[in-house]
Amino acid sequence: MDDNSAVQYLGSLIDQTLRVHASDTRIFVGVFKCTDAARNIILANTFEYRYPTAAAVRDATLTSATENLEEMHNLKLNMTSRFIGLVVVPGQHITRIELEETPQQGRVREAFKAS
Amino acid sequence: MFPSNQARTPTTRIVSQSVVPRDITEKFTQAASRLRTGQLVKDEYFTLFEAVAALEIMDSKMDSGYLGSEEDGRSLEDDYDVLRDLSPEEVLGIMDELLCHEMAWHMGHPLSQTLFTSLYLDKLLWPVPKNFEDTQFGRGRIDGGKAGPKMVDTVLRAYCLGLVKCCDFVHARVTAEFFYEEEDFSTQLYNRSLLSHFDSDLFCDLLHRAISWIDDQTTIETNVRSAIKARLEFRLGFLLGLQQDINVIQTRSVDNFEACLSLLATLEESSQRVQPVPEAFSWKIQRNLASTVPPRPMVTISLQDALAHLRRLFQDGIHLAQILDYRGPYNFRVAMWTILSRKPQPSVYIRSLLQTIIMKEGIVLGTTPVKQFLYDELAALVLPSSILLEASIDETEVPSDPRFQIAQLMDGFVRRISQPFIDTFRSACLNRCRIRRTVCHTIADWDNLQMEAEDLDEQLRILSDEPPLELSNGDTTYAYPLSSWTYHEKLIQFRLILQLGFELSIYAPEELAGMYWYLSHICSTHLGHIDRIRTFIVSAAQRSRPSIAKHALLRKSFVLFDRLTTQIVAIDAFAISIHALYVLLSRHKFLPTAFSPQAYSNDKFRYELRMKPFLNITLPEIVPYDEYHREATLQGDSDETVMERATKAIGEARKAWEATLANGPFLEDSNGEKPNAPALEEDWNRDVKDTMRACIGASIAIESVKKAIIARRTTPPGGSPSLNLKVNIPEPGEKGRWHDWWAVPQVLQVQAKAGT
Repeated sequence: MDDNSAVQYLGSLIDQTLRVHASDTRIFVGVFKCTDAARNIILANTFEYRYPTAAAVRDATLTSATENLEEMHNLKLNMTSRFIGLVVVPGQHITRIELEETPQQGRVREAFKAS
Repeated sequence: MFPSNQARTPTTRIVSQSVVPRDITEKFTQAASRLRTGQLVKDEYFTLFEAVAALEIMDSKMDSGYLGSEEDGRSLEDDYDVLRDLSPEEVLGIMDELLCHEMAWHMGHPLSQTLFTSLYLDKLLWPVPKNFEDTQFGRGRIDGGKAGPKMVDTVLRAYCLGLVKCCDFVHARVTAEFFYEEEDFSTQLYNRSLLSHFDSDLFCDLLHRAISWIDDQTTIETNVRSAIKARLEFRLGFLLGLQQDINVIQTRSVDNFEACLSLLATLEESSQRVQPVPEAFSWKIQRNLASTVPPRPMVTISLQDALAHLRRLFQDGIHLAQILDYRGPYNFRVAMWTILSRKPQPSVYIRSLLQTIIMKEGIVLGTTPVKQFLYDELAALVLPSSILLEASIDETEVPSDPRFQIAQLMDGFVRRISQPFIDTFRSACLNRCRIRRTVCHTIADWDNLQMEAEDLDEQLRILSDEPPLELSNGDTTYAYPLSSWTYHEKLIQFRLILQLGFELSIYAPEELAGMYWYLSHICSTHLGHIDRIRTFIVSAAQRSRPSIAKHALLRKSFVLFDRLTTQIVAIDAFAISIHALYVLLSRHKFLPTAFSPQAYSNDKFRYELRMKPFLNITLPEIVPYDEYHREATLQGDSDETVMERATKAIGEARKAWEATLANGPFLEDSNGEKPNAPALEEDWNRDVKDTMRACIGASIAIESVKKAIIARRTTPPGGSPSLNLKVNIPEPGEKGRWHDWWAVPQVLQVQAKAGT
């Protein structure tokens, strides 16, 4: 990837919704606004998602104790989330970046790649 | 354990189900690495300015969701079961801790760092309960909100809910009035409700029920039981007292606060028996309150401090009832200033309550319409028995009648002046720094008001056919009653700005001489003005041959003039003597200096700065710097003359203050009655006595300086060239500062160093 196409690629992501995973397992979902050489990412209208606490899982396990064992392994719990607005995630704390797109967008992208 | 698709089902964000995430980590990283340092790829509408506002994730000072290494378990939630059984001693511990947090809130700390750290309160308040029955500790639990132990459900719940309702009343009162957010009080509720939508009888019922339940619990040790009961009764009394709030004007009842006050001793004694439950409070709850600010440490104050704060609150609340009887504006002002000048200052709740009492919907003290209040003030000071005030009583409806026109003009004056006049009272309820700042601003308004009043005076003079008064030099002049009164008010404000300046330690030691000179300058201007008012009243009285009833009114005015004169003479004389004393000290270089010689500031700049609030004032005219400098340094006067001046003035000041003390705080009103306010009278007397102590302190200092100067004169040539004195100016609140408004220096003789 040369410099030009790198800028072009990053530019194409602007105003798309990204899911940025941080090193402490939190996930930030927001609108991509800006990045730089150190991979610092600025997200607008961001929600923070966090895995349920051990206590919450234990409680849920207890209440569903009557269910059979197999279902216990498929226990479903919501992640806790809250709105935190405009944030910058420093590059060194980013473990994973995901792009949210509709299947249709995905197909268009694939088509572009192929051509 | 967590199905992977869980991570992709946001709970509050609206997304169409078909969204699929695609991992772009590698590509993104690769692309980003191609960027040069400093190069940005950004939305063209996204500015760097906005970027600065972004919260930095994983930064402990900005990221409220960041769990530092000290927060073990890496959890946002607390693992505390609010339904767990508590021993009676633990219940006591939680109650006392809650009380401490409540008082910390009263003192100005935000709820997030005080009461809202309680896990019990959190359970009751969030989510906001719709029905009163929802206020249960066990609600929202998966097991259907089973009942907790009786001790928790009956006693602690009643106490917590009562406390929340108390806070609701305080919050409502303070926010209804003028206060400074985060300076006096934090009103932020973090989107929670203090249960203001439930009637307070519900809370009282709960407390009553809890009290009778605890009475029956014979298994609990008697001491502990009575300690719990005392706290519940205290809470009930406090709630009822706060519920009464502004109705105290009608009820005049202070029973609830008195009952609370008498329980404080019991609370303090029994605090030995409590067992603290620190787990029941957590600073982590803050994360659920405000998402943009990382949690700040919990505020902890000792129970002793909390009880001391409460004691003052109740005491002030009880004494507040003593100012409710309306006995004229003069008495009201004295009483109000006295209670508000207490050290420490009455709490923000009391001050807010007083603001409402001063005026609510155009009624002063709940009984007197503001027009009457203003007329009483004018009658006492500038218009005893005048047609101007009587005109509105007559129901003359002929527009050509001068009385009708006078009434019209006077109504206009009332409309214009009543709010600023009431504000001179209400602003006294602010914190001390704000009082001074507010007066510095309003004084310019009063200058305008004076000019408007002057116009009005001229129109009224013609309508009322006022004859001119011939002065001794042959000139003629008129009374100008309304503008005279506004000028009088303005001069009071001048004095207040200076005196609060001393109280708030605004002036540097080298400025004190000048400032006390200025204070005496203002006082002598004021004395001259009062003399002028008196002259016109005397001449008007001679002209009209007043009836006996009017004669009595006139006598009242003269009593007021005498009293004002005595008081201002006392201040004047004291200021003159301290001024002279500081001149001597500064001449002989004994004063500590706050400014280094290299400092940019100099006397002239400092003078300009101090005169800033007065620059736009037309009357009294600003003193030019050269004249000020001459007067403030007593240029041309020898040490002896200055010493003489100080000694004479302090003697006069002491006499005048004694006379002031003998006069007492209050005047007889038009019905010959004085306010019945023993507690405030005591405070007022103490204040005057403190001033007299300051006078004595000043005499001693003057004597020491005198002795040292004479001693030096008798020293043979070649002896010690400087005076052997040490000067210390105690700060307000320090030992040796007898009165906040009088910065009297302590002058000590020191032994000459051997060999010099």
